[in-house]
Amino acid sequence: MTSRTAYPLTWRIMDVLEGVAAAIWPRSMARATPYLMLAPAILLVGLLVLGLLQMADSSLRTLDTNTFLLSENYSLANYRRAVTEPLFAVVAWRSLLAAVIVTAVTLIFAFPYAYLMVRTRSSALRKILLIALFLPFFIGQVVRAYGWLIILGNQGMVNEALGLVGIPPMRLIYNYPAVLFGLVQYMLPFAVLMLAPALTAIPEELEAAAGSLGANWVRSFRHVVLPLCRPGFIGAGVVVMTLSLTDFAVPAILGGGSQDFIANAIYDQFFRTSDQGLGATLALMLVALGSIVVGLVFSLFGAGTLAVSRKRK
Amino acid sequence: MKELSMPYINRRLLLQGAVALGGASALGLRGAFAQEPAKPAEIIVRAWGGSWVDSLKAGVSDPFTKATGVAVRHDLTEDNEIQPKVWAAVAQKRVPPIHINWDTTTNATKSALRGVTEDLSDLPNLKNVTDLAKPVGLDGFPIVNTYGYVYVLAYRPAAFPDGAPKSWKDLLDPKYKGRVAFYNDGIGFHFPAQVAGGGKLEDIPANMQPAWDFIAKMKEQKPLLGEDPDFTTWFQNGEIDAACTISTNAREARKNGIDIKWVVPEEGCKFDTDGLWIPKGLPENELYWAKQYINFALTKEAQQVWLDGLGLPGVVPGLTPPADLIGDPSYPTTEEDFKHLIRISSKVQVENESEWFGKFKAIMQG
Repeated sequence: MTSRTAYPLTWRIMDVLEGVAAAIWPRSMARATPYLMLAPAILLVGLLVLGLLQMADSSLRTLDTNTFLLSENYSLANYRRAVTEPLFAVVAWRSLLAAVIVTAVTLIFAFPYAYLMVRTRSSALRKILLIALFLPFFIGQVVRAYGWLIILGNQGMVNEALGLVGIPPMRLIYNYPAVLFGLVQYMLPFAVLMLAPALTAIPEELEAAAGSLGANWVRSFRHVVLPLCRPGFIGAGVVVMTLSLTDFAVPAILGGGSQDFIANAIYDQFFRTSDQGLGATLALMLVALGSIVVGLVFSLFGAGTLAVSRKRK
Repeated sequence: MKELSMPYINRRLLLQGAVALGGASALGLRGAFAQEPAKPAEIIVRAWGGSWVDSLKAGVSDPFTKATGVAVRHDLTEDNEIQPKVWAAVAQKRVPPIHINWDTTTNATKSALRGVTEDLSDLPNLKNVTDLAKPVGLDGFPIVNTYGYVYVLAYRPAAFPDGAPKSWKDLLDPKYKGRVAFYNDGIGFHFPAQVAGGGKLEDIPANMQPAWDFIAKMKEQKPLLGEDPDFTTWFQNGEIDAACTISTNAREARKNGIDIKWVVPEEGCKFDTDGLWIPKGLPENELYWAKQYINFALTKEAQQVWLDGLGLPGVVPGLTPPADLIGDPSYPTTEEDFKHLIRISSKVQVENESEWFGKFKAIMQG
């Protein structure tokens, strides 16, 4: 009885578990433990790489429209089509341009929002800003895009309001600006969430010190806050840019069918023309384009808040 | 008429089959088969949503369940999206995710060419159908066409105060800028555009430049491009005045209270068919009941209710047109009616579809 009290049941269970763990993973292999931790990540990335390899294989095969099977032999015909057909150049350029514009506009809107959310002394205002930020996350991208159709449509709230002052209904949706608008609205919470930790990490005292040394608000903002927030800008920029570049739903819903992005062109090949070879080619080229853009940003500006280094720069 | 190929039947199947005969008699199949294999708990039929699936349910699925006791579940996955899933299942020798695919004949032809469709030549009710049921350019019956449909020019009468549009060229009027709509891959419009552009149908597919020239002119009108449900929504929300769409969608919009009419313009309209097919790889008993479903869909009773809902002409002689479609050009019944419609074989469409879609997209996305 005494010994049981001295050596509780939970300890005994732990002993058994440790014994089992030691049998499975002996102490002599302790140096390899960190690699074991990597196993889930390796599995995940491995599956992704496996999928990419399969797509690479498909991308080198052409569709035979007599049998609707991919060819047995390899060729670069799909890549040739992808780079020579004007449709794909138009769609790629439109996607890339949108990614740049949406990133710039989103960061401009997201920064003051994040700054106010982090710096406000009013907890009520902070809560309101947080709720307003998270609410869209509970509503999917597709529903939000349809929401804009209702608001901006020919018989939507905006056109009805314009009608009250004698302005006839105008086409506010089904064009490129509408797609950009929808994307900015979708990306804003992502950007704010990426910027907020970077802003939180900037001590308020630094701004106060700049002020006490004679810097006005603009100068302290420009020379203290913005440079220190750079990691947040980079992290938010990379996330927004890659999500915009690969978006499917917003161009499909708000573009009226004439503002396709690369993802829409990929969908068409896989599901409309049944050409998995060309679809795989476009998908791989999109992966390559996204990787190049991200690589370029990382090499020019570093990885920002996406960096995993223990050193704080 | 060939005999329906019978699967291997064990004693249990035989006993269950005897019970099933009662249901089969209601399908007019008594005597056709000595025994029937085990009934599956359900069969899954891929279908389009909205009024499309409602009509199928009322005309075919519910009466089939009542007659046989086999439940029917409708899978509303898009036809384009179910296709790769079925293809992958057949290639990997897995049981396909559906028993029957309700599909466009063009899409179904791709599956038939790929060799993933079961042969349906032995369906008893095929002896009662018109030539429309037979897929053009394919051997046997890998697909059974079940009705035809027309891509009409639907319009809001209020936007055409001088009367119905007579030609597809009428849509080039600047006042319709941003007010017309087409399918986002141009389906239904390629062939009328060929005529409207001054070309000949006989030149399809060798020379379709007139079609591309006309579509390029139409692009200047900044048309909206969408799918079936979009057209109804756009008409309803006042976004468009005219569209090239399947008459069923226009009729559905009219049922919803929208003031909408449709015509077959002087250049003609594309006529096409939809059909039913069964993917390979089903267990024998499920294949049997899937075939019975399609066989039932070819009865006059099933076609009458199903196609009344869709407002489309079927493949069984003697069907009565819905009252609102008597004499309507979207419901062709006579040779004269078909003179104004353009029908190109599915095989030609399938072989060139990718190129046509690409060209249409290149013009519209440019």
